[in-house]
Amino acid sequence: MVNTKHHIVEVFFTKLRLNLKSETKKTYLSYAWWLLEPALYVSVFYLVFSVILNRGTDDFLLFLLCGKIPFLWFSKSISNASNSIVAGRGLILQIAIPKQFFPLLVVAQDFIKQLFVFFFLFVFLAIYGDGSVAHWIYVLPVILTQMLLITACALLVSAITPFIPDFKFLVGTGLMILMFGSGIFYSYKEFLSERHQELFLMNPLANLFKNYREVLIDNITPDWHALGVICLASVLAIIAMNVWFKKTDTTYARLVMQ
Amino acid sequence: MTANNLLIIDNVTLSYRTRLAFFRQKRFTALDSISFNVSKGETLGVIGKNGCGKSTLLKLLAGIYKPDKGSITQFCERISLLTLGVGFDAELSGRDNAIISAMLLGATKKQAMKLLEGIIEFSELGDFIYQPMKTYSTGMKARLGFSVAVTLKVDLLLVDEVLGVGDASFRQKAEQYLLKKINSQQSVIFVSHNESQVRRLCKRVVWLEKGRVKMDGATNEVFEQYNSKSA
Repeated sequence: MVNTKHHIVEVFFTKLRLNLKSETKKTYLSYAWWLLEPALYVSVFYLVFSVILNRGTDDFLLFLLCGKIPFLWFSKSISNASNSIVAGRGLILQIAIPKQFFPLLVVAQDFIKQLFVFFFLFVFLAIYGDGSVAHWIYVLPVILTQMLLITACALLVSAITPFIPDFKFLVGTGLMILMFGSGIFYSYKEFLSERHQELFLMNPLANLFKNYREVLIDNITPDWHALGVICLASVLAIIAMNVWFKKTDTTYARLVMQ
Repeated sequence: MTANNLLIIDNVTLSYRTRLAFFRQKRFTALDSISFNVSKGETLGVIGKNGCGKSTLLKLLAGIYKPDKGSITQFCERISLLTLGVGFDAELSGRDNAIISAMLLGATKKQAMKLLEGIIEFSELGDFIYQPMKTYSTGMKARLGFSVAVTLKVDLLLVDEVLGVGDASFRQKAEQYLLKKINSQQSVIFVSHNESQVRRLCKRVVWLEKGRVKMDGATNEVFEQYNSKSA
């Protein structure tokens, strides 16, 4: 029985800490994987694109990483969140608990692991990039914006899946469409006409990747207007989803029963 | 009705919808116009055959479900389902599991840490408490779960046939502990198939059949009818 706001926050952070601990216990190298996984990941990209394919310069690799790494954060969080309420059925059927608890926990868990991945990205950029490190402070608002966007989307998909289990297949497909449609492997400036560029940047993910690249590679300050719009829309969506969860709270207990 | 009421259940109906196929659903009424009261300090037994709505009733009282019709008026703060192993995680130690489980059942972190010693002692797990739970036997898990659940203070305790935990000696200890709680004015709703246990613990019994209250009265009288009907 989790009732007061203060209590639920306390439970949330305790559960977050224990979930992360539990996850690391499943492997021999435990916490080391938080550093090893992104390190391996970056190495593979380096090997494939810079050494084997010898595609252009290190620039392309940096370009790729600045899109692919934030995208992986998004896609992991969303696909984990989509199933989170159903996966929490054990708790849902035993105690009265706000259902937002489950997707938010997933988002928080993935965020903490993502911090290590970003750390690696920064190390890599420091070695191979030629931007100024001091400028990277501007990446913080970009990360914050993405965090809000992820939270809003995670709440939305987690709310739908218990009603329509088939939805999780659509989430997978949707993420794939986003992967190809957000300019991770290509530069939208090269491929799209000016009119289409504007349309392309309406996709919040594409817009965020553009900002990551501008801040981390080109040393340009982020597009504050775009970030502001994404933040505002995300916050509104988060509020709306909270109202939804408040209204339908006990419905989910019956849905996950089936 | 009286000031002594802890819970008034008034005309409560709850039905499930089962998903069969695309847009095809089946409705099933689990509880149908149920009404009864629970007084402070009382131990109420709920009996009935499988599928009569006992578990649904407890979930409703614990706030996990809301009734479709009717109302439940509550004159106390904490109602908690006595469930074993809420939020247990096999990779974590018994100690970590006890803390998070107590918190999920309503304790603050401070309270959980305070209760920890008592929980560990009651569970008789000794040094095993620092081992990951995946190394526990089923009985050990149940013992720890029971210890967490009964150590927490609640106004109304909902018990769903959990007294079959652990080995014989722990079972006895668990029942004794529950009896002690009952005698110390703890209000309990006790759902069970086990007649002798219900007779030992409850003075009043509600008999559910097909989602309706078939009878509500003194334990002896209800069991007389119940047994003559099933025989």
